[in-house]
Amino acid sequence: MISLSNIRTVAKYESKILWRNWFFRIVSLIGVGFLLIFNIAVFSEANTPRWSVISSSWGMPYANMILISIAQAASVIFLATGLIKKDKKIDTNEVFFVRPVSNLDYVMGKALALFKLFFWLNVVLLCIPLIVNITSPNTAFNPWAFILYPLLTSFPSIVFTTGLAFLCVTLLRNQPVTIIFLLGLAAVQLIYFMGEYSDILDFMAFRFSMLASDIAGFIDVKFMLWQRAFYLVSGITFLFATAFFLDRLTNHKSIRITTGLISLLLLGVSSYIMFSLWNMRQAPLILRENMITVNGQWADKPNVDIVSNHISLEHTGKGISCTSVIQVKNNTVKPLSTVYFTLNPGLTIDAVTMDDRPVEFDRNLQIVSIQPVTGIQPDQTVNIIIKYHGSILEAVAHLEVDQERYEAVNEYFVFAPHKKYAFVQPDYLLLTKDVLWYPDTQIGYSRASPTRERTSFIDFKLDVKKNEVLVPISQGELNVKGNLYQFRPEYALPQISLAMGNYTKKEITVDSITYSVYHYPENDYFMPYVDQLSDTLSFLITDIVNEYEDGQKLNYPFRRLRFVETPLQFSAYNKIYESQQAFLQPEIVLWPEKGGDIWPFDLRRRLRDMNRQARKQNEVLSEKQKQANVFSNLIKKVFTKQAGDQWFFDGRNSDEPDYSLFANLYAYNSGILSENWPLLNSSISHYLQNDKQPQNDYSRNINGISFAEECNSLMRESSIAEILTGNTGFNKIHKSVSLKAEYLFSYLGQLLGEEELKQFLYAWISQHPHQLTTYIDFRQAFSENFGLDIDPIIQQVYQNKEQPSFEIEDIQKYEVLDGDRKRYQVLFNVKNSGENDGVIKVSFNAGNNSGQRAFFNLRADDENKTKIPGSLSLIKKGETKQIGFVLDQRPVKITINTLISRNIPSIITIPSGKFGLRENTGLFEGERVIEQRPDSRQYIVIVDNEDPGFTTFSPVKATYLRAFLDSRNPSDKKYYGHWHRSYSKWLPTTGSDFYGKSIRSAHFTRSGSGDKIATWSPALQEEGFYDLYVYMMGKNQNERRGHGQVSYHYTIHHGDGKDDISYNISNAEPGWNYLGSYYFLQSGGSITLTDECELRTVYADAIKWVKQ
Amino acid sequence: MNIEIKGLSKIYPNGHAAINNVNLEIGSGMFGLLGPNGAGKSSLMRILVTLQKATEGSVLMDGMDINEHRKKIRPFIGYLPQDFTYFSKLKTWEFLDYTARLSTSLKRKKRMTEVDRMLDQVGLLEVRERMANKLSGGMKRRLGIAQALIGNPRLLVIDEPTTGLDPEERIRFRNILSDLSQKDVTIILSTHIVGDISSTCHNMAMLNKGEVAFHGSPEGMIDQVRGHVWQVTLGDDEFNVLKTKFPVVSTIPTIGQWEAQFIATDKPHPEAKTITPNLEHAYVYFMENQLGISLV
Repeated sequence: MISLSNIRTVAKYESKILWRNWFFRIVSLIGVGFLLIFNIAVFSEANTPRWSVISSSWGMPYANMILISIAQAASVIFLATGLIKKDKKIDTNEVFFVRPVSNLDYVMGKALALFKLFFWLNVVLLCIPLIVNITSPNTAFNPWAFILYPLLTSFPSIVFTTGLAFLCVTLLRNQPVTIIFLLGLAAVQLIYFMGEYSDILDFMAFRFSMLASDIAGFIDVKFMLWQRAFYLVSGITFLFATAFFLDRLTNHKSIRITTGLISLLLLGVSSYIMFSLWNMRQAPLILRENMITVNGQWADKPNVDIVSNHISLEHTGKGISCTSVIQVKNNTVKPLSTVYFTLNPGLTIDAVTMDDRPVEFDRNLQIVSIQPVTGIQPDQTVNIIIKYHGSILEAVAHLEVDQERYEAVNEYFVFAPHKKYAFVQPDYLLLTKDVLWYPDTQIGYSRASPTRERTSFIDFKLDVKKNEVLVPISQGELNVKGNLYQFRPEYALPQISLAMGNYTKKEITVDSITYSVYHYPENDYFMPYVDQLSDTLSFLITDIVNEYEDGQKLNYPFRRLRFVETPLQFSAYNKIYESQQAFLQPEIVLWPEKGGDIWPFDLRRRLRDMNRQARKQNEVLSEKQKQANVFSNLIKKVFTKQAGDQWFFDGRNSDEPDYSLFANLYAYNSGILSENWPLLNSSISHYLQNDKQPQNDYSRNINGISFAEECNSLMRESSIAEILTGNTGFNKIHKSVSLKAEYLFSYLGQLLGEEELKQFLYAWISQHPHQLTTYIDFRQAFSENFGLDIDPIIQQVYQNKEQPSFEIEDIQKYEVLDGDRKRYQVLFNVKNSGENDGVIKVSFNAGNNSGQRAFFNLRADDENKTKIPGSLSLIKKGETKQIGFVLDQRPVKITINTLISRNIPSIITIPSGKFGLRENTGLFEGERVIEQRPDSRQYIVIVDNEDPGFTTFSPVKATYLRAFLDSRNPSDKKYYGHWHRSYSKWLPTTGSDFYGKSIRSAHFTRSGSGDKIATWSPALQEEGFYDLYVYMMGKNQNERRGHGQVSYHYTIHHGDGKDDISYNISNAEPGWNYLGSYYFLQSGGSITLTDECELRTVYADAIKWVKQ
Repeated sequence: MNIEIKGLSKIYPNGHAAINNVNLEIGSGMFGLLGPNGAGKSSLMRILVTLQKATEGSVLMDGMDINEHRKKIRPFIGYLPQDFTYFSKLKTWEFLDYTARLSTSLKRKKRMTEVDRMLDQVGLLEVRERMANKLSGGMKRRLGIAQALIGNPRLLVIDEPTTGLDPEERIRFRNILSDLSQKDVTIILSTHIVGDISSTCHNMAMLNKGEVAFHGSPEGMIDQVRGHVWQVTLGDDEFNVLKTKFPVVSTIPTIGQWEAQFIATDKPHPEAKTITPNLEHAYVYFMENQLGISLV
């Protein structure tokens, strides 16, 4: 039935034919050219490659294989369909059909020909990264990566694509239709599904997680091999099916039947693999759902609190074996007949004893329940020993994370690495509380009761039996007795973690705190960039710590801080009730392998940037200074957040890794336990966390409005409780909670004095270290200190949906000579026309943040940016306040944060512009309620783009494609971002630069030939001569692209006819700009603006009619 | 090889009967299959070389049913299809080696010797390195016969081999076939060109509309037309009258007259004389008979 000789013969000559095919040669040449450029640009030393792309020894070959796989799939489709198509039409090939070859020989031979060809193409293409890799001094060479990735990615893809193409063209008997069908299939997978179901559908393996770790190797090997096996077996199945359906008489009918049966058998095998894959994929999701249900069943049942937990652990390769000696206490007021613990359902309980007596227990997934014979009386303490062993099911981690978020692809360069929450493998172990590796009495997330917080700080002890190689790392002081590693934390902790790996340690003790970096032996890439700091490191650390503690007004409460390198697949999420991610454990930071893709870890490029900057500024920095700066930069940006990160996404993509140490100062050290206000704890954490983040409008300029404004809108419709229990996406919940926190404490700060409030909170934490306090105690202390009951305020903030709406009016700024001092007076009125009282936060910026770089990317750490402290103001509903500041520095910007309000933008940034000079005038600093000034005698009409008098006309030709695209992307967006693209019709956008009372917006469109028109039609009540003013964004509008003279084209329809005006906006000032004076009848008139302009985008904002 | 074709019919899915109850017995040597386009020759050929199945009837090769024993039969078959002009991007020797490897189990060295011998036999050794798709039409046909011959087949099926060839190539091709017929090989030559049969075959069949119109030797076919082929010199008017009554085999214009050959049972013109017929006359005679045209 099958002859290897025949297959080899067909393969030999068919591959020659393919090799001489112009299409293949062109594709190959393009492939070589593209990969050459890609590798030189991205990986080679020609351009100082990013550390994140060269740090993993697996990354370079894998990235190349991903790119090869995509182009290869399309090429195989073209060539494979051509190979089989010929057999149907050309007589010449019939001379082969009369030869004594079987159909299977023939099909397999052709498939092998394709395979051979692409195999060698892969080899040639991989030589490019191989050369780059070998010649690069900064990239680890991993020969296995060059062998395994082609086997895992390319080869199954070729077989699958070939088989599918052969079968389709055999059945459809039409090459073009087959090509369109198969390319469509690939495109749907590539574009439509992208990351979704990539674990199952990704036959090209371009989004399938296969990035190996230099610490933990390949992750989830079984799933990976089964997925690739599915496409390999399916491809072979299709080849057999092609032989079965091939339009050629077989040597014997029995052979055809056998071929058909084998293809059916293979179909069964591939179906089984897919079935198994699906089950493997779904099992964690089902388990999570079931666990959430079980949590819901136990959430409200009273339980004991754990006082101490002494865990003895042995790592048994793919599992752990533990004994947990737990002391529990009944802190409730009633006897407890049932005690329960949570434990990972992958762990099997061997025995439970209570006060040295064996007791029966029930197990329902993660819940282990014990019913003591006599019950546990209030305040009674008992000892429980639980022995267990087994493996860790990672799916138990982060139950509050919804499926979409849980399955969302982890982006890393061109890879989609696995998301791992724990590691238990023979050569590596990583366990955090999130995977329930030790018994706990805290119930996790459930929908009915999402607000579960930790209930106690526990005295942990951990004994780890060390195996030959792996070094255990956990919290507390380490005592080593033979192969027994004993961890003894000095303080009660909310949780404990354990990492075991082939770690090497670098350690320094500064000011009684021991700082250790645990890394894999090959991963000390950072050493050459800090090697001159050995004698100054302790001073540097002292400076950073002092600066951090001064900024946070809290002291680091532990005796050590361990930075433990973890595989880059280790993942964590933001949480609603905790401000930290799992990357931060008490005393421990789990930093990603070789720094992952966190750019401050790219020390070489940071040094390079520093050198460039120094050259540009004619500065001379010693190597030591540079290293010190780079080191500080890393710590401040990544761990202490004293310097903001480069980009700021305002919470829309909120699962960005966060390694902030702040949880060690608050969440792992203190806390307020409140049943009614579980958000209070995280609110305090949000409020006290003095992280610096740049305030830029990146998100608004992309999305139309900022994420905070979207959440403000949500909070007008739903209370925070409804948001928490409804179907709101996590990012919005997270942002809403943090906005509420900011508002709550800003409000309290305004009532009580911000400094006083903070001092109270700092004192409370300092007085209650390493323990939880109750809300009752906190409320009482608050009341005693401030004479104010905090409870109704919290209630109002969390439950109120009404929001204030602020109108900023009458901004005045001028220089004043105060004695000999030149001072700057800024005055403005704030009117609250909303439905509720509100707080605004005003701040100033004296830095020189002009220029394109600053516009796109304001960094909080810019040295030249000097923030001038501002103040908080409470503006009651219907009230207008004048707010005055007297500054010693001339501000360049005024920032008014309206917190939770109806305002768009909620943070209004106003360039302060020119300051006039006034003499002999008083200075006013503070705030005062002012009466609404009577309307000006002057008759003024303003038509804003938000008003009914503003209309737009965009003659967009309807096409089938446009209709299709519109139907696929229904948009309920009201505002659109105007940075990255202009649209072919007038659309509204928002920004501080635009005119508006509470909503500062304008319409914008792509410039064109004048077809698109915006019209302002005033409802004038008085006939007469009017001065016309147009509201302009100002310099941003015309300087961004470096154009010279630029004009907008207006047509004034006035009482005497119409005038066309070409208005030069090049010199326009931000705000109102004079357009001309015209006579308008009471019956109307209008002003139109066309889209004709030299710039890419035309903006239409507001027009003002001022009667002469 | 002895081939028995019994009651063979081929009806395509669209209802067209390409072959209808064909019975033939073919022995060693050259066997000519003559017939006009659409007579069913190619269908019969394709059935014989196991490319398609008959709807009815059977074909036995040395007593083996070709439907049941394709695997045994295929190694003995050499086939040159009708439209043998397309070649993939292979060199002449590569193309031949490709078919040789599939047909024989010779080791590489011997196989290459055989390939070169075959190329030499068909006069293509000089162009062995040339791409097959760059060969002339005649060369391609010769390469076709070479690939059909490689592996020493016992049955060689050649479908319309000389169509489109110039006279020189055609004669060259016929000579190759004549040489082959000296060996113990059954060669079935399908053609609508009478000259191919008359110059090479000792046995033949004529197919028309899927049925066997004649089966025997070319001489036997010629005998049947003996006395029915007439030659006469006519003026324009007479020629125009006669050509509407009788099939014209050939006409040679002379000054103001026509020297014409007619097929007719009886003397078509008082001055007509019988001439010695050839296979072409016989072919026309049979064709006209099949068409039911009166030769009287």
